[in-house]
Amino acid sequence: MADLARIPGVWEQVRLVAGLRWRILRNNLRKKNNQWDLIGIIIAGIFAALAVMGVSVGFGFGAYTLMSGGHEAWIALPFWGVFLFWQLFPVFTAGFGAGFEFRTLLRFPLSLRAFYIIGLAYGLADFAAIASICWLIAMILGATVANAVVLPAMLVISLLFVLMNITLERLIGSWLERILARRRSREIFFALFIGFIVSVQFINPILQRYGHSARPWVGQVLPYLAIFPPSLASRAVIGASQNHFGDTLLGFAGISAYALLFSAFLWLRFAKQYRGEELSETAAPSHSRVRPVARTAGQSDALRLLTPQVAAVLRKEFRYLTRNSFSFFLLIMPPVFVLLFTTEFAGRHPTAAKHPVSTEFFFPGMMAYLILILMAPAYNSFAYDGKAIQSYFTAPVSFREVFLGKNLLQVAMLAFELILSIVAFSYLVALPSWPVLLATIAAIVFFISGQLSIANWSSLCFPRKLNFGQMRGQRQSGMAVLISFATQILLGGICAPILFMSRWTGDRWLPAEVFAFLAAAAIAGYIASLDPLAALAEKKKESLIDALSR
Amino acid sequence: MIGAAIVTEKLTRRFGNLTAVDAVDLKVAAGQFFGFLGPNGAGKSTTIKMLTGLLAPSSGSAQLLGLDFAAHPAEVKRQIGVVPEGMGLFERLTGAEYLQFVGRMYGLDRPTTQRRSEELLDFMQLSDRPKTLIADYSHGMQKKLALAAAVIHGPRILFLDEPFEGVDALAAGALKALLGRMTERGVTIFLTSHVLEIVERLCSHVAIIYKGRLVAQGSLEELRAGIAGEEGSKTTLEQIFLSIVGQDGSQQPQLEELSWLT
Repeated sequence: MADLARIPGVWEQVRLVAGLRWRILRNNLRKKNNQWDLIGIIIAGIFAALAVMGVSVGFGFGAYTLMSGGHEAWIALPFWGVFLFWQLFPVFTAGFGAGFEFRTLLRFPLSLRAFYIIGLAYGLADFAAIASICWLIAMILGATVANAVVLPAMLVISLLFVLMNITLERLIGSWLERILARRRSREIFFALFIGFIVSVQFINPILQRYGHSARPWVGQVLPYLAIFPPSLASRAVIGASQNHFGDTLLGFAGISAYALLFSAFLWLRFAKQYRGEELSETAAPSHSRVRPVARTAGQSDALRLLTPQVAAVLRKEFRYLTRNSFSFFLLIMPPVFVLLFTTEFAGRHPTAAKHPVSTEFFFPGMMAYLILILMAPAYNSFAYDGKAIQSYFTAPVSFREVFLGKNLLQVAMLAFELILSIVAFSYLVALPSWPVLLATIAAIVFFISGQLSIANWSSLCFPRKLNFGQMRGQRQSGMAVLISFATQILLGGICAPILFMSRWTGDRWLPAEVFAFLAAAAIAGYIASLDPLAALAEKKKESLIDALSR
Repeated sequence: MIGAAIVTEKLTRRFGNLTAVDAVDLKVAAGQFFGFLGPNGAGKSTTIKMLTGLLAPSSGSAQLLGLDFAAHPAEVKRQIGVVPEGMGLFERLTGAEYLQFVGRMYGLDRPTTQRRSEELLDFMQLSDRPKTLIADYSHGMQKKLALAAAVIHGPRILFLDEPFEGVDALAAGALKALLGRMTERGVTIFLTSHVLEIVERLCSHVAIIYKGRLVAQGSLEELRAGIAGEEGSKTTLEQIFLSIVGQDGSQQPQLEELSWLT
């Protein structure tokens, strides 16, 4: 029997967990890379706080306007806004949050009650929760200034609304944690997420085309929303403002019932976790014994023009690309964007612009945008190698060959994507004139070659490990992102005077000629950079292995 | 006379103010099964990393098979095989794909790589899951694959960091037999392990590193002879190890300090 003096109380345990999280954060800052990251987080935090404050003003003013202008019925709208944000934002950022899992605390003698409360407390420390609570406070202030009678009802309903939202958010989070523990389901989730992001881009064109005919259907659906928490909350507030206390009590009771129901479900989920629910991956099921077919010695090698080492890296990169659902789905994006942007801005009947944008401008702009997306992973090209980065240092190879293998795949992928997009573009709109087409192609070569040298340098100097198909704790290296943007801006800055000179002199072929020269120089620069980069890799190997082996 | 496979002179590695490896002079003859021992944090992994090109020494030199590592890194790497700490496998490849990748990185032609991959997967009992990704392997299976990858190019020196950790008894027996056969054919094996019984059974020579300094080196007989007492010949490696690294008393657990537990 352990000689425990006493069992710590629930709040002491909550305080201990908060202290633990603080120490984790503080100790992480010992590494220089993490210090850079913190600066990035602080900058992002300032912007997020400003955004939350701005939206709070909107919510407060909105509540005031609705309550003072006799439009109380519309108070449901801000409640729906808060509700949807609170529940959906954590789902979409599930993968990008901190890597700390409070379930690890279960090894300690926590009671189920303490575990439940700590779980709820985690829900309160969430960005969506903090922002939503700020907006609710703003709504209380706005509504009270407009009509002081609603203050008690607003306070009670907001409190219940917060409780209900925290519980539901934790319930969804807990189920997500269970579902996303499996690699395959994480990958499917990621695919759905990207599918959703892409689909959202089409809302405007669809609304433009079908919005009018959908109105009657929306009108039929709206009454059914009354049974959901945001509508119940608004019912309570409207009841208070119109002295219909029955509605107010119904609203209170409805939200309380939801809160109780979600609490019960959450208690059951946490109880299951508390009893030791296993979330980790199990070993893959055994396959029947299938001997791989041995290749004959005479079989030709598609990559025989390359050295064995470059070919090996290229093959490995290709396999990694095809097995990384996130990277793979990103490849779908360029043709989709071409389709989307041409629908919105070009073609015969653009949905977002009155007149179609000239192909002479639209085509180069579209290609530049695609390169911006497709080149981003090259700035942290060892991200998915992890501990295996050691293989490159123990093998008798120079990093010149490693970079060549990696860059060849990146170039092949870029070429495939750009050709696909150009074909789609020519089908949907039309190709630009020859001078613009050739200038764009030469500029693409210049952009890619110029960026590859810098991207390789960035990969060595600011590496950050990323896990396959995993979203939790996955964030690109802040410095790599910064360098990527700076490089794109620099290259864009080089393009601007060339285009200006062409316009000024009236020579339409000038950009093609200058970009061809720059492309040749960039390719020469890329080749010349390989040996210095290989030497740099040798110098940086300790930090590289350290960063990728965590 | 048998030539030296590994020779280090004043090999030193500092991390800021900490000297992890302090002027280590190692000498390992070709064909030796060499055990490199030390308590946690003594400098074993740092030494192995310096001998395999994963870490640059702060000062001193390392010669492998008569070649200076710093001057001829590629030539040296071509002749050594490594199972590094944490194994360092590309986990999104299958076992066969990984072995083919490694074989090609060491410059083997494709047919040879293909044949050796299949033979090694069979030997390691990994060939029944050809489509399984390494990420889905158990720890023991990953260890066996890392060992297969370390030997696919026929190295003359093999560096193994805790090679039997997590490997089942059946596979461990086969691996030990394989390693034994390799040393008979002149391959030098440089092994670290915390399981002293394994080192005692496999290794002919041992070195002990403690707080970054090499405190003992020689054959097991020489180390036994170095320990005072009439019972020297009956001394186990564990006793030798404890007598050397625990001689200042700082490594001996002070049980009386844990009276509340005992």
